[in-house]
Amino acid sequence: MSLKSSIATAAGKSSYWFLHTFFKGGSSLPGKITKRLDPEILATLGRDYDVIVITGTNGKTLTTALTVQVLKEKYDNILTNPTGSNMEQGIITTFLHAPKSKGKRPLAVLEVDEANVIMVTKYIKPKAFVFTNIFRDQMDRYGEIYTTYNKILNGVALAPNATIIANGDAPIFHSKQLPNPIVYYGFDNQKDGDIKATPNTDGVLCPQCQHVLHYHFISYSNLGKYFCPNCGFERPELNFALNKISELTPKSSTFEIDGEPIKIGIGGVYNIYNALAAYSVGRFMGVSPAQTKKAFEKGKRIFGRQEEINVDGKQVTLILVKNPVGLNQVIDMISTDKDPFTFIGLLNANYADGIDTSWIWDGDFERLPKMNIKQFITGGERYKDITYRLQVAGVDPSKHLVEPDLDKVVEMIPQAPTKKVYILATYTAMLHLRKVFAAKGFIKGGMG
Amino acid sequence: MAYSLKVCHLYGDLMNTYGDLGNILVLKYLANKMGVELTSEVISLDQKFDPDKYDIVVFGGGQDFEQSIISKDIQSKKQALTDFIEDNGSVVAICGGYQLLGHYYIGANGEKLMGIGALDHYTDKQKDHRFIGNVVIENEETGEKYHGFENHQGITFLGKGERPLGKVLEGHGNNGQDKTEGAIYKNVYCTYFHGPILARNNDIAKHVLVNALKRKYPDADLEPQEELKVGATF
Repeated sequence: MSLKSSIATAAGKSSYWFLHTFFKGGSSLPGKITKRLDPEILATLGRDYDVIVITGTNGKTLTTALTVQVLKEKYDNILTNPTGSNMEQGIITTFLHAPKSKGKRPLAVLEVDEANVIMVTKYIKPKAFVFTNIFRDQMDRYGEIYTTYNKILNGVALAPNATIIANGDAPIFHSKQLPNPIVYYGFDNQKDGDIKATPNTDGVLCPQCQHVLHYHFISYSNLGKYFCPNCGFERPELNFALNKISELTPKSSTFEIDGEPIKIGIGGVYNIYNALAAYSVGRFMGVSPAQTKKAFEKGKRIFGRQEEINVDGKQVTLILVKNPVGLNQVIDMISTDKDPFTFIGLLNANYADGIDTSWIWDGDFERLPKMNIKQFITGGERYKDITYRLQVAGVDPSKHLVEPDLDKVVEMIPQAPTKKVYILATYTAMLHLRKVFAAKGFIKGGMG
Repeated sequence: MAYSLKVCHLYGDLMNTYGDLGNILVLKYLANKMGVELTSEVISLDQKFDPDKYDIVVFGGGQDFEQSIISKDIQSKKQALTDFIEDNGSVVAICGGYQLLGHYYIGANGEKLMGIGALDHYTDKQKDHRFIGNVVIENEETGEKYHGFENHQGITFLGKGERPLGKVLEGHGNNGQDKTEGAIYKNVYCTYFHGPILARNNDIAKHVLVNALKRKYPDADLEPQEELKVGATF
């Protein structure tokens, strides 16, 4: 390590210690200090690691957590970044915080923001990239899906030897010729038909001839076994495939990958993709299917974005929603609940939520009236929009309460007519709720 | 139901970026309250637009890539769409849809992409800048206020026969210069508003429905429909 790097590292580490000791936090400031002192510090810090970069719109956090869990079956020393630290400074901080590695070459499994892939590959040549998906996401802050993919590829161009482990069901990941070796994972659990995606689906043009893609089947949004009836472009051969979904509940998914039955302690088809991605990384890194199955099944609830809270005896599940694809997956997941429940939808429109609330109209709220929902509550700063959305979706007004004030929404929970309560909230609404829950002693700490 | 209306969701599978489906859902919802059965279908690439088949056209906003493909395809529908508009057909066109009804717009890489020129506006591009944020406008004829969210790099200038949808009270509007937002021509409503516009501003949805009913049922007494109380989400 150069003198400059040593000084920078020491400064970063001591600031990390200082922030954690006195302020119980600080995930990007140490990285910022270190980077200021040595702009190329990541090259020094990451030199001794085999790095796996996980990026995409949805599922980064869970795929990263599951991948770490799978790789632990074979590797002892794995570094990973906490959720929310997926930009350059957070990643530098993650390396600063790493314990000294002994023996074998350590791994680093890093969740990286799409635009920050290049900030990593400038200094570190990863062993593999994982592409989860690219969906429209808070368009006031991000761009179009093609722009996002190009940002990722600009980063990948600096590491042409790294293997790409990509979601084969996403047409966009098959749209460009790349020098990298590519491994695809995807779903193969339905009979072939010939269908098109629903009209509010993004990214359905054939990348080769610009006609509208058809599908043999769709798993969700624009993901599935696609083909172009005009030019013959089609889904690539899958290296790792999900063959069967056996059972879905809000809290568990049972399925088969490459014939191996697996159960994970989380609901939602989108999370099966995350598990499949982690499985594929495991296989790529030499972890056997049996070891992966074990890793998934002994896994704790590592699913921070979807937690259950006991509020005066009510079983409350708080779920972050931020874009239409994610929202529809959550709606799909709660539809698998066999018990009656109360539905709470909270919409804020601050910068972190996305200030354009149009996306709620792409949410398939029309499914709610068909579920076993005993009461609906809508609230948040933009309560009028979410309330009207539910009204248009056909929700029975006699079961629908409106309360703009989030503090009051919390007070309404113990009066809910059901034991189970699902709260779908945008980012700042979720933070607000967590703060209130923490103040009332329902959860520890205010932050996720 | 006593009345029925048919909507063409023009390129609805490609121009769908800003919750545009919400406009159709809200039209259906309000039509139902008016005793009108409203159905919609998507007409997309390589499909014919039959002007006699529809009462309302909804044309949403899309991403640059999709919009550039549609710029080529829509030329084959140019005459039919122009006939529909001249025959007082109702249209709601948003963002990219708005731009494509005019003469041309400038694409992401500076290339000039053709619209159909059914309306007399044209769209240039700001250099490395977008108008992003909340907008409030006032319809100067009715005094109605409309709220929305804009996110566009294009700057549009209105032409002959067009009047703005409203005067900008907050935000940027068509071009950030002349305080206009959107356009009205015959029964065509154009705008840069996301929201989606008809969901946040039921007044506009009502005008569209009533215009379409008057055209299809010229002898009907539509007073109850015109009297329907509608809301807004601001």
